[in-house]
Amino acid sequence: MAKLLELIDFHYYYGNIHSVKGINLSVDEGEIVTLIGANGAGKTTTMQSISGLTARRGVVGKILFQGKEIQKYNGYKVATLGIAQSLEGRHVFSQLTVEENLMMGAYLRKDSKHIKDDLKNVYDRFPRLLERRTQMAGTLSGGEQQMLAMGRALMSRPKLLLLDEPSLGLAPLITQEIFVAVRDINKEGTTILFVEQNSKIALNTASRGYVMQTGEIVMSDTSENLLSNEEVKKAYLGG
Amino acid sequence: MQTFLTLLISGLVIGGIYGLIALGYSLIYRASGLMSFAQGDMVTLGAYLGIFYYVWLGLPILVALVLTFITAFLFGMALERGVIRTLLKKNVIPIYIVLATIAVSYIIQNLAQAVFGSTTQWFPQVFPVANLTLFGVTNQTEAYASFVISIILMIALHLFMTKTKFGTAMRGSAMDPLAAESCGINTSLSTGITWGLAASIASLAGMMLGPMYGVFTTLGSTIGRKGFAGAVVGGYGNMYGAMIGGLLLGLAETFVAGYIDGTYKNQIAYIILIVFLFVKPTGIFNEKAIQDV
Repeated sequence: MAKLLELIDFHYYYGNIHSVKGINLSVDEGEIVTLIGANGAGKTTTMQSISGLTARRGVVGKILFQGKEIQKYNGYKVATLGIAQSLEGRHVFSQLTVEENLMMGAYLRKDSKHIKDDLKNVYDRFPRLLERRTQMAGTLSGGEQQMLAMGRALMSRPKLLLLDEPSLGLAPLITQEIFVAVRDINKEGTTILFVEQNSKIALNTASRGYVMQTGEIVMSDTSENLLSNEEVKKAYLGG
Repeated sequence: MQTFLTLLISGLVIGGIYGLIALGYSLIYRASGLMSFAQGDMVTLGAYLGIFYYVWLGLPILVALVLTFITAFLFGMALERGVIRTLLKKNVIPIYIVLATIAVSYIIQNLAQAVFGSTTQWFPQVFPVANLTLFGVTNQTEAYASFVISIILMIALHLFMTKTKFGTAMRGSAMDPLAAESCGINTSLSTGITWGLAASIASLAGMMLGPMYGVFTTLGSTIGRKGFAGAVVGGYGNMYGAMIGGLLLGLAETFVAGYIDGTYKNQIAYIILIVFLFVKPTGIFNEKAIQDV
């Protein structure tokens, strides 16, 4: 399988703080991969750096997308390549309606007919968004906002979908619902890299995983092997 | 009744102007979280640009109007790119950036004086008919035109911001730049365009003031402050609040001057401003005005 995304000796510096310390990571086309680890490990920095959303002067190393170096690209330019991200903390446009939010996800697209189809697909996937389509996004519940953030990212028809903490602050039932959608989206052909605090659900969803600790990747294996690994069990799966 | 109508119409005319200026303040606040003291001087700039294009170059009024709009737009964008963004990139704290806009304000005023001189210039009559009588009220034709143009501009801006993809994207980038950028929106371009729009709207206000008030270097700073008061009263940062707040202040000062005493005319806007800050700092449209603690 061809590598869709590859990070080679990637570092990130916030001024003097060395927050990501030379990681190597790759995602093949069609794969679903997770990045797990404790708070402050550098997961969000890594995700936002891929999307060009961190200050570019802090990046050292290479980020390759379809073999092309993109580590110097700004956020809006990365989006044009077909990388979409559902951000940590959801970041919906609170004072735009649900539908306006979704349409912003399709901002770069010109094929208005297919946009309509994709809008329908998002509503089919998340019927609650259809019920609330004219409501301001800020009035939605946390779970609905997460669905909206993912729906918005899908509206760009991404080649690579990045999800940062999709279950953050959500009740277990909603979390299950979100991850059913994540699996479906991958089965339908979208490559996914996601960060998740809930390591158990993460490894049960992804086919491979990377474990990140204080800016470094300390383990990388299939989800199956990570789930049965004693260290992972002790540190991330609650014994 | 006649007095009332006369005052109502004058109030709406000047209120429309305040509303346009207030809009600029609110747009800038939304996009950059800043207050620009140079916003009033965009009014002055527009008035002189009007003289330049219409009187000096002798272009037709509509052409002069469009060129003024475009020139001021470019100026506003240049101000954002050249001054504001440079300071933001250096992580200068916001109050100093606001101070920089004061500097820009004085530079514009003094440049205008150097180029156009310090005497008040009169913007010549634009329409073939000097005065127009509506509902028994006689007024300068340009005054009526000014109100009509103000309302058209407000409606156009509303439609642009809410019905077009680009306008929605501009609102989105002001709300959440990170999310906007991840959707493929060039947020820094969007901010620049916002500053450009704020300047061009104010410049048209200035051009319309010319035939009514004359053109002088401090035209914008006096009237601009009232536009600012209008923006606060409406709810700082809210587009519709700015329009309503501006109209309201225009009406208030005209009625106070007409029914009570003309000497209070220039204070009433600020008295209302202070009252609002005490009683309802969120303005008519309930914008966030109190810090979270």
